[in-house]
Amino acid sequence: MAMHFIFSDEVVLLFDFWSVHSPTGMALSVLVILLLAVLYESIKVGKARLLYQALMNLSIPTSQQLIEETDQDSSSSDSLPVSRSPLRWFLCHFGQSLLHVAQVVVGYFMMLAVMSYNTWIFFGVVLGSGVGYYLAYPLLNMT
Amino acid sequence: GRSHHMGMNMDMSGGDNSTMPPHHHPTTSSDHSHDHMMMMMPMTFYFGFKNVELLFSSLVINTAGEMAGAFVAVFLLAMFYEGLKIAREGLLRKSQVSIRYNSMPVPGPNGTILMETHKTVGQQMLSFPHLLQTVLHIIQVVISYFLMLIFMTYNGYLCIAVAAGAGTGYFLFSWKKAVVVDITEHCH
Repeated sequence: MAMHFIFSDEVVLLFDFWSVHSPTGMALSVLVILLLAVLYESIKVGKARLLYQALMNLSIPTSQQLIEETDQDSSSSDSLPVSRSPLRWFLCHFGQSLLHVAQVVVGYFMMLAVMSYNTWIFFGVVLGSGVGYYLAYPLLNMT
Repeated sequence: GRSHHMGMNMDMSGGDNSTMPPHHHPTTSSDHSHDHMMMMMPMTFYFGFKNVELLFSSLVINTAGEMAGAFVAVFLLAMFYEGLKIAREGLLRKSQVSIRYNSMPVPGPNGTILMETHKTVGQQMLSFPHLLQTVLHIIQVVISYFLMLIFMTYNGYLCIAVAAGAGTGYFLFSWKKAVVVDITEHCH
């Protein structure tokens, strides 16, 4: 196993059937890995969004809502209200857990891909993380 | 907050690719010992329970029963890791109740004097909470690297155990956190 980064058109990635021999195959593989990294960043944002949804379903106002409330001078009561929908909260939390499993698996896949020490693949991971972060993180603040 | 929550999960994929000592089993015929070394570490996913080395030289799985035991142990380790992360978050939140306010007068426009207030939230270096957090951090780093190394065995059963344990741990420990800790955050 190579212990240093190399430029090569041959690599076997993750699975027995994913064996690359040609420049075309390598380009495609880099694209797939890039999309995998974009997916990883999106999952992180998705989890945060679901957490936000779960908090909404508990009827606990987030700091943003509190600011909006004070701006509007509303006179609603501020005691802890009964949760609006326990089932929706449970679904949000379960969804978060599924996303967490996906995040763990995709994260480890990316680590193993980098471990192939193929420089093209490494570039794909790094670029994909950048593109994924660029596209996904602005969606954090959209409500 | 939200960004803090996500910062905690970023160490999953950031495992360093430090050099791994290649397995070297002494062979009687030395002419193909080079090939022997190349095939010791699997580089693709496989399902099997024969001759699976797990982290330490004394931990070798050879039977289905041993694999089942290893599966449970890895599952629990991944669950414990998630719980440790949540517990550290909670401890940090609780120990940051101490807030220091420093107020000082500063000159404002038109000759007025304004009071500028600095709020410092944090722990002291030698306080027990900070030392405890440091010890827990070391444990967390060690376990996260162990989980990475386990995943690196490319053994399908063990990888599933890591993923399932992480998901179950997240589900169980984050549940309490989502209900309890965020309420206290609201009260602050």
